[in-house]
This record gives sequence, C-alpha cells and structure tokens, in this order.
Amino acid sequence: MSEAAALPPGEHPARGGDPHLAHHFSSLERQVDASRLGMWLFLSTEVLLFTGLFVGYSVYRYSFPVAFAASARTSEIWAGTLNTAVLITSSLTVALAIHFVRAGRQRAAVVCLAVTLFFALAFLGIKAIEYTAHFHEHQLPGRYYRFEGVRLPGAEMYWALYFLMTGLHGLHVLIGMTVLAVIAWRTAHGYYSAHYYLGIELAGLYWHLVDLIWIFLYPLLYLI
Amino acid sequence: MTENGKHHSALPYLLVWVALLILTATTYSTGRMHLVTWALPLALTIAVAKSLLVILFFMHLWEQKGANRIVIGTSFVFVALIISLTVADVATRFPLATPADAPFGSDVPAQLDEPPPEYQHPAGKIGEPARGVPEPK
Repeated sequence: MSEAAALPPGEHPARGGDPHLAHHFSSLERQVDASRLGMWLFLSTEVLLFTGLFVGYSVYRYSFPVAFAASARTSEIWAGTLNTAVLITSSLTVALAIHFVRAGRQRAAVVCLAVTLFFALAFLGIKAIEYTAHFHEHQLPGRYYRFEGVRLPGAEMYWALYFLMTGLHGLHVLIGMTVLAVIAWRTAHGYYSAHYYLGIELAGLYWHLVDLIWIFLYPLLYLI
Repeated sequence: MTENGKHHSALPYLLVWVALLILTATTYSTGRMHLVTWALPLALTIAVAKSLLVILFFMHLWEQKGANRIVIGTSFVFVALIISLTVADVATRFPLATPADAPFGSDVPAQLDEPPPEYQHPAGKIGEPARGVPEPK
C-alpha cells in the first residue's frame, strides 16, 4: 500500500506511463474487462433487490386482481407514460455520451450527460406532482388509505406496493443523478478520452438499469 | 479501448430509441383497452422486448464478452424462478393448508373443529426455559 502511494500507478516505467492503469492489472484492456464484469454483477444484485418487490406485487395482484386493476385505473396514467418517454430518452442521451467520447468529442459528451441530468430532474418533478395528487386523494398505503373512488379489499396493498416500488426506483434515480453529475464534471475536466472512458460507461450501465426497472414498473403499476 | 477499433455511427441508438417509443405507445394503447386475459402477457412481452433492446444496444451487451451475458442472464433466470414458484405456491393453496386468517390462498377461511395442537418443541414450550438447560445467571 505504501509502495503504491509512493509510486503513482501510471509512473511505473514498465507500464508505458498510462495514468488510468491500476498497478494490479497487466493491461488496460484487462482492467476494463474486469470493471465491466464487476458492474454487471452489481447490476444483477440490483435486479434481485427489485425482484423482492416484484414478487410481493405478483402475490398480492394474484390475491386481489379486481382491486389492483381498479386502482391502476385511478393512477396518474399521463404521468407514468410521460415519465417512460423521459427515461427512455435519457437512456438515449447517455448512450450518445459514450458514443461521442469514443469519437473523441468530449464536449458533446458533457452536453449529453447534462441533458440526461435534466431529464432525470424532469422525471422526479413529474413524480412529485403525482405523489402530491395521491396524497390529496388519500391514495395511501395500509390504514391511511381513504380513497373514495375504489373501496375494495386489497386496494391499500396496491398503494403500499406503488409507493415502495416507485420510491425505491426514485432513490435509484437520485443515486444515478449523483453518479452522472460526478462523471460529467470529470469528463468536462478532461479525465476521460477516446482512449479511456470506463467511468462514463459504467455510470451509463447504472442509468440504463434505472430505465430497465421502470420499463417493467410502468405497465404493472399504471396500465393493467 | 474501442471494442473493434472502428468508429460507430449514432444512427443505431436513434433507431433503438424510436423502437422503444413505439413499443411504449403500444403498451399504452393496448393497456387502455383493458383486455381481460391478454393484458398481462402482452404487457410483459412488450416490456421484455424493450428491456432486450436496452440491454443489447444501449448497454452494449451485444458486443461484449460472454461472461457479462452469463451474469445478467443468470440473474433473470432467478427472477423468473422466484416469481413463478412463489405465485405457484400461493395459487395452489387450499383451505386446510392455510391457517385461519392467513392472508393468501383460500377464499374460505379454515374451519377446524378443534383448535390445532400446540406446537411442542422437544426441549420445552416456546418462551419457557428449556428443560435440562441451566437458567442463565
């Protein structure tokens, strides 16, 4: 450890002076492959984290099909649909950021990441409008459910799952925004180039996962 | 670090984006029809198609090494297992297999003529000090 601190990784004469290469990898290519594999493993655990909630949704939906269908019809469908389009477009801008940095156009990549952050903010804004409407209508979990429109057993469980699933997803949006902001700042300061853009790639993978989860949440919570 | 050294065009990303928006519109319009039987299978099929587009092209799994595909593929196998087996459990319960006031599985609450026998642990009742074990001081 002290040796590594005394000798910056890139300065090792045997490594060609690449500042991005960590001292425990023999080549940048292997380092990038290992990082990608690690990110996919992490994303798999994220998928399984959300799966717990999807299992809960499946079981309660099976038990209360009428209440779930009726409650989904009283959700803010316009907001869910608009947010789906917003997230899909933000996924496109992240993919374009990687495309541009691969082509050596860092400024265009920074613009793409900034646009992604804007879309993420828009998503959370729409979500906030939606949550406010549900609070006013008392479409709330458990014993706080007082919505007059749907008076069926199981409706309160729909809203418990709605707030848990969209809440955990919203938390991931916040984390993704933080990561993307850091990556955008580093890109703007010349840390990434066509030679090395691993950080943008991994942050992009995380953001696409946020999109992926929403692709399943949208029809299950809003449409059917 | 580029995968095959040549420059990519941005056009595939735009095509995938358009396809995703079209699929979203399809989910929306078929979801508003409130199809009784086919609503859930159709919505899930479209969602799987959309996620495949995102994973293969936006997340570049198409051009990456096999290990990454195995990792995320295994994850989805376990997602399918845990959801299908849990729902199969709930779907196949019948009254006598379900304790009274249990939340799932039977429309008729279990009606037993006599209360179920109290569970007897070999070491003693739950909550009582176990037999043969000295009291903690």
